[in-house]
Amino acid sequence: MSALLTLEGLGKDWFGVPAVEGLTLSIAPGEVLGLIGENGAGKSTLMNMIGGVVPPTRGRMLWEGQPYAPASAADATAEGVAFIHQELNLFGNLSIAENILIDGFPRRMGLIDRRAMARATEALMARLDLDLSPDRPVGTLVAGEKQLVEIAKALHRRARLIIFDEPTTSLTTREIERLFSLIDRLRAEGTAMIYISHILGDVVRVADRVAVLRDGSLVGEGPVDDFPVPRMIHSMIGRELADVFPPRRIAPPDAPPVLEVEGLSAPGVIEDVSLTVREGEVVGLFGLMGAGRSELARILFGLDPAERGRVRLGGQALHGGPRERIAAGMGFVTENRREEGLMMDASVRDNLALAALGQFAAGPLGLVDREKVGAAAQAMQQDLRIKAADLARQPVRSLSGGNQQKVVLGKWLLSRPHLLILDEPTRGVDVGARAEIYAIVNRLAEEGCGVLMISSELDELKGMCDRIAVMRGGEITGERSRAGGYRDADLVALAFGEQAAA
Amino acid sequence: MQTLTLAAALAAGTVLSAGAASAANICFAFQDLETEFWVAGHQAITTALQEGGHTVIERNANEDANRQLEQVRDCIAQGVDGIIIIPQDGESAATIVNEAQNADVPIAVFNRPPSDLSKGIIVVADNATIAEQAVDFALTKAIERAGGEPVQPLILVGDLGDPNAVGRRAGFNAAVEKHGDAVATPIEVASNWDAATALSNLEAAVTANPNIDMLFTSSDFLFPTIRSVLEPRGMWKAAGEEGHVVMAGLDGDATACSLIKEGYVDATGVQDLYFEADAALEALLAAMEAGEAQPNQVIEDPGFALTTDNIGEREMDMWGCVLLAEGFLNK
Amino acid sequence: MTAIDAPAPVPARQRRGFLARLLGSEYFVLWLTVGYFLVLLPFLPTLGTPANLVNLLSNMWPLLVVAIGQTFVMAVAGIDLSQGAVMALTSTLAAALLATGADPAVLAKAPIWGVLLSERGGLLDGRGGVGLALGLGLAVLAAVAVGLMNGIAVARFRMPPFMVTLVAMMIAGAFAIWLTQSENIRNLPEQFIALGKGDIVSVYFGARTESQLPRREVYPLVTYPAIVAIIVAVLAHWLLERTVFGRQVIAVGANRRAAEISGVPVVRVLILAFALSALFAAIGGLLYAARLEAGRPTLGSGTFLLDVIGATVIGGTSLFGGKARVIWTVFGVAFFVLLSNSLNLMNLSSFHVDMVKGAVILGAALLDVARTRLTRQALP
Repeated sequence: MSALLTLEGLGKDWFGVPAVEGLTLSIAPGEVLGLIGENGAGKSTLMNMIGGVVPPTRGRMLWEGQPYAPASAADATAEGVAFIHQELNLFGNLSIAENILIDGFPRRMGLIDRRAMARATEALMARLDLDLSPDRPVGTLVAGEKQLVEIAKALHRRARLIIFDEPTTSLTTREIERLFSLIDRLRAEGTAMIYISHILGDVVRVADRVAVLRDGSLVGEGPVDDFPVPRMIHSMIGRELADVFPPRRIAPPDAPPVLEVEGLSAPGVIEDVSLTVREGEVVGLFGLMGAGRSELARILFGLDPAERGRVRLGGQALHGGPRERIAAGMGFVTENRREEGLMMDASVRDNLALAALGQFAAGPLGLVDREKVGAAAQAMQQDLRIKAADLARQPVRSLSGGNQQKVVLGKWLLSRPHLLILDEPTRGVDVGARAEIYAIVNRLAEEGCGVLMISSELDELKGMCDRIAVMRGGEITGERSRAGGYRDADLVALAFGEQAAA
Repeated sequence: MQTLTLAAALAAGTVLSAGAASAANICFAFQDLETEFWVAGHQAITTALQEGGHTVIERNANEDANRQLEQVRDCIAQGVDGIIIIPQDGESAATIVNEAQNADVPIAVFNRPPSDLSKGIIVVADNATIAEQAVDFALTKAIERAGGEPVQPLILVGDLGDPNAVGRRAGFNAAVEKHGDAVATPIEVASNWDAATALSNLEAAVTANPNIDMLFTSSDFLFPTIRSVLEPRGMWKAAGEEGHVVMAGLDGDATACSLIKEGYVDATGVQDLYFEADAALEALLAAMEAGEAQPNQVIEDPGFALTTDNIGEREMDMWGCVLLAEGFLNK
Repeated sequence: MTAIDAPAPVPARQRRGFLARLLGSEYFVLWLTVGYFLVLLPFLPTLGTPANLVNLLSNMWPLLVVAIGQTFVMAVAGIDLSQGAVMALTSTLAAALLATGADPAVLAKAPIWGVLLSERGGLLDGRGGVGLALGLGLAVLAAVAVGLMNGIAVARFRMPPFMVTLVAMMIAGAFAIWLTQSENIRNLPEQFIALGKGDIVSVYFGARTESQLPRREVYPLVTYPAIVAIIVAVLAHWLLERTVFGRQVIAVGANRRAAEISGVPVVRVLILAFALSALFAAIGGLLYAARLEAGRPTLGSGTFLLDVIGATVIGGTSLFGGKARVIWTVFGVAFFVLLSNSLNLMNLSSFHVDMVKGAVILGAALLDVARTRLTRQALP
C-alpha cells in the first residue's frame, strides 16, 4: 500500500531552537497511527505543520507522493486533512446540519435549501449511527455526540486523513466504545488516522502502528504489537517507571473518620448518598459520566445545595459555602482546572497562595506577608517538583498540563486540608507527571489526610484507592475494598447497573 | 538699482516689525460648537482675530467646565497675551476669569455673562432692547394693517428661569406699552424652551383666539413649530397675502433669515455677533496695548432688528443670513 | 477547520529581546511618558516651563483619584460608567450642604431649596470644621451608596457591569440635575475652595521679563489636591497589593469561579470594588468642584469618562480583569495628562486632539494584547 502522507526529515525551529527535529514517518490509507509523547514532546508542532498552521523549517511533506506544503489551515482542509480536537470547534447555537455544512450551504434559487441540507446531514449521520434530528442545536448535545458531529463534518469534507487529538477526555465509557468502533469502520473504508492520546490503553486498542516522540525527535516506531504499555512509557519518558502507582502504607481500618456523609440528597442530582472517608484513606468514586460523581463533590464542597442529609468533617457538621468548608479543612481539585482551578494569566505564586491567603495575613488590615508567600511557594515548588522558571512572574498558562495540575494541588496543600476531593486529577496530564501526582496523593494520605478521588479511569482508581464506591443515577450502587479485591467486570457492572455476573 | 533694492528691503522690514508689534497670541477657548449660534460666534471671532494678524490658539472644552479651566491654564502656561472664552456657564466663567487675572493675563468673556460681572471684559447682549426693537417694528406693521382696530399680539415665552427669557419678555412688554391703546392685552403662551410644549400650548391658544394679528417668539428656533400650527389654519401667509400674521422673533438664525426673505416673518431681533466679536477683541487688544493685565469692562450689545425694510442693507450683519448665504440650511 | 493548538511554548533558553523586556516591564508606561516628554521638549520648550509643569501636576491629581477607583473595578473585570454622575451628585450635595449663601432667583425652584439650602446658605454652613467634615462626609456617603447598589446588582443579581453602571449613570446624573434644576451652586466656603486649589508650598522663580506684561513667577507646588491624591494613591496601592482583600480583588477578576472555589468571598469583593470606585470618584469630584468653586450637577459628563478609562487602560490595567496595579494607573494618568497637555501646546484643533487621543487609547489596547502575547512567549 503506498503512503498517503510521508514526512521526510521534517524539522521546525522556534526562535532558533528546534521543537521538532529530523522526523521521518509515513501513514497509509486505512491505517491508524498512534502518536504518543509527553507534553512538549513536539506533538502539537508536528500537527500544526501537517495542518498548515506553521511551515516547517527543514524537510518536506509528501501527499500521495506529491510535495505537500499547505500555506494555511484552509489549504490543509482542502487537501483532505481534518482535526478532531479535545475542545471542539462547533457553534453551539447552530443546528447539527448547519454546523456540518457550515462552509457551503446547498442553495436553490439563491436561498439556502433546507431540505437538501437535511438530506445531506441525515446521510452522514446514518454512517455514524447518530440518531438525532439534523435541526437540533449543537449546544444541547452531550460531549460524545458533539464529537460525532465534528467527525461528520470531516466526512462531509471528504477528509482522507483525520487527526484525533485527545478525543476521549470528555467522553463516557459507552461513548468511547462507540468512537472506537467508528474508527474501525473508517479504517475499513480506507481513511488514514492519527490518534494522539495520553491514555495508552486506548492507543493499544485502536492503533495499527505507534510512533513515540520525545524532545522533538522520533524515538520509537513500529507495529502496535511491538509496543506494550510499559515500552511506550519507557520510550516516552526515556527511563523506566518503576511503578506508575507507587506503594503506600494502608490506612488502619479503625482510623477515625474524616468525612461522614449520611443520606445526602439533592433531587434530580444525587439520592440518599452515604459515604465515609477515614484519616489516611484514599476512597475512589467510580461511575459513568452523569452518574452524579462531580455533582456529589460540588455539594460536599458547598457549591451546590443539598436538600436532605448530613455532612460532617472531623465530627463537625458542615454549613455554608466553600469558604466555610475550606476553613473546616476541605480542599477541592475540580475536573476542569482551566475554568475552575486556576487563574491562567496570574503567576504561579499567586495561584498557589490563593486558597490560603488568610494564613499569610497579619494585623487588623489583613496585610499579606509577601516574603512568607514567596517562601511557601518556593517550598511547594520543590516539594511537588513544579517545573517553572519564575514563580512570581510566570503565568500558569505557560506551564504544561501536568505542572498546572501540580499548582492546583499545591494550592490546596498550602491550606493543609483534612479532606481533599480530587475530580479527575490526571485528565490531560502525561504519564510522567501522572506518576508524580499519584506520589503526592499517597504522601498526603500517609500524613493522615483523607482523599476522595473521582476518576473515569478504572486502572487509576484500582491502583490508588483503599476503597472504591460506584455511583449510578445519583446513587451509590456499591462499594468494594482493596482487601476484597477489585474486579473490573464487577465495578463496571455496578456502574452500568447490570447484574454483577460478568 | 541698488538704491531701489535697499528701499524695498527697508519697506519690507518696516512692515514685518510693525506686524510683530501688534500681532499677539490670543487663546480662544469655547465650550462647544453644537448649535448654529455658537458655530457662527466661533467663526466671527476667529475671522476677526486672523484678519487682525493675530495668532489664534483654539480650545474646545466639549461642554466640560473643568476641561475648559485646564485648557485656559495651559494657554496661560504657553504665555498667551490674551484670552477670549465662550464659557460653559456663568459660575465656571467667574472662576476662569479669576484664574486668568491672577496670572496677569487679560481675559474677555463672550456672550454668556459670568456670575460676577465686575471682573474681566464682558460682552453681553441686551435682550430687552433687542426684543423691543423687533417687536416695535412688528407692532407698527400690524397697526398699519389693522386700520384702526386694536391689534391682538401673542408672545411665546421662554423658560422664565433663564434671564434671557425674562429680558426678552420685558422688551416685548415695553414695546406693547409704547403703542398704548392701539394694542390689546397680549396673550402669553409658555414654551419652556421646548418645541413640544410650545406646540400644544400654541395650538390651544390659537384655537381659543383665532384673531391674532401679531406673534412674537422669544427664540427663532420655534418658527418651524409655529408654522406647523398656523399652516393648517390658513394663518401661515406671506406679507403680501390676505390673512398674514405679522411675526417677529429673536436670535437671528438662518431659518429666520430665509423666512424674512420669503415674507412670512417681518422682523427678528439679532444679537450682533460680529459687533460683539469686534468689541471684545478691541477691548482686549486695547488692554494688552496699554499693559493692563486685569481689564474690567462690561460691553453691551444693543443688537438690532433685521426687518423686511432693512434686510437690503443689513442682511450680512446678521449671523443667520451669513450662514444661509453659505448654504447652511442645505447641508 | 479553524484554530489549531497554539505553537509550542518557546524553550527557556530563548533569550528575551530588548523590546520584549521593555514591553514586559512594569514601568513601561513610565518610560514611555519620560521618553515622550524628552523627545518633545526641544520642539515644545513651553512643555518644560515651571508654569506648564505645575499645570500638568494640577490636572493630574483629581483625574488620578478617579482613575484609581476605576482601576479597582477593572481589576474585577468590571467597568464603572457611573463615576462621572457620582462626581456630579457628590459635588452638588456637598455644595448644597455647605454653601455660605444662595441666590433665590436662581435656585428657588430647585427641590433642595428650603430643605438643604436657603438664602442663608446650606444646612451645615457656619458650623466650622465639624460642619465642613460632616458635609463632605455625607456627600461622599451618598456616592458610596450608589457604588454599593452597583456592586450588589453586579455581584448578587449577576447583571453585567456595563448595564448596571450605565443605568446608575443615567439615574444619578438625572437626580443631581433634578436636585438643583440644572443650576450650579456657588458661594462655597473658603476651606472647601482651598481643597481644590490651595497651595501649601509655592516656589518663587524670580521676576519674569520677556513678556510684554509684568508677571509674577510664583507657582504652587504642593497643593491640597496633590496631598489628597498622593494619600489616596498610597493607600489604594497598599490595599490592592498588600492586603488579603486586594489579592482577592485580583483573583475574582482573573477567574471568578476559581476564586469562589478557593474560598474568596466573591460577592463581598465585587460589592466593595464598586463601592471603592464610587468613593474615589466622589473624592475626585470634590476636588474638581472645589477647583471650579461650585457644585455642578453636570460635572463629569461628556467625554470625561473616556479620559478616566483611557488613562487607566493606558497604564496597563486589563479590561478583562485580573491585571491591575495602582502604580500603573499613576503612570497611565501621567501619560494621558502629558499627552493632552502637549497636544494643546501644539495648537492642534480640538478635532485633531480628540483623534490623536482616540488613536493613543487604541494603541494602548493593542499594546496590551501584544504585551500579553510577548510575555507569554518569552517565558518558558
